[in-house]
Amino acid sequence: MTKPKTNLRAILRTLTRHRVEFIIVGGVAAVLQGAPLNTFDLDVVHRRESGNIDRLLKALQTLEARFRTPGAAKRRPERSHLSSVGHQLLMTRWGPLDLLGVIGAGRGYDELLHDAYEVRLGGSLALRVLGLPALIRDKQAVGRDKDKAALALLQRTLEEKQKSHA
Amino acid sequence: MAIKRRKKRPAPRADTKRDRTHSEDGVDLTLIRWMLSLTPAERLQVLQDNVNSILKLRDDKT
Repeated sequence: MTKPKTNLRAILRTLTRHRVEFIIVGGVAAVLQGAPLNTFDLDVVHRRESGNIDRLLKALQTLEARFRTPGAAKRRPERSHLSSVGHQLLMTRWGPLDLLGVIGAGRGYDELLHDAYEVRLGGSLALRVLGLPALIRDKQAVGRDKDKAALALLQRTLEEKQKSHA
Repeated sequence: MAIKRRKKRPAPRADTKRDRTHSEDGVDLTLIRWMLSLTPAERLQVLQDNVNSILKLRDDKT
């Protein structure tokens, strides 16, 4: 694979075109809701249901996805990887994509769904994004240093958002 | 001789909490307000442009 040119929208469009059910979490979810932060990868929690994994595998083929972890570099993700609760760190033709089985305190797609809402990015691109309150809760639950560093920014974004709606 | 202490000029204060530029924990609220004024598509574009700029800088450096 040649050096990928990062294109978040192209990854999202490919997943959507293949009718993959997923929820955007992490930095991109925060940015879509107004948090001024930078991130280089797209984190999504996918539904670990058989039909969805079939569609996801096809989408990953289109995206030329390979593991970017040192031990597994250049290997393609397989059904068993996508069925697990683990985190699959991939490189695609459009940049890094992390497929997460669960996040925070072990919450997967079905558990996160009621905390997610739809965001339209113009045209037919409608995406499910984990809401800021749930993003904050999950970062608090994990409590890693990098999560703590982002917490203040997310909390202030939520406050400003609530003020602007008040 | 007594040294005359110069009074420190007070920092300009915002009129209301809403006008503050930074939160007590140091977060730049002006950036948040600017991002909130954009549509989600525009926010994604801001992120994409930032990523591209940083990657370009990195590539130019190597």
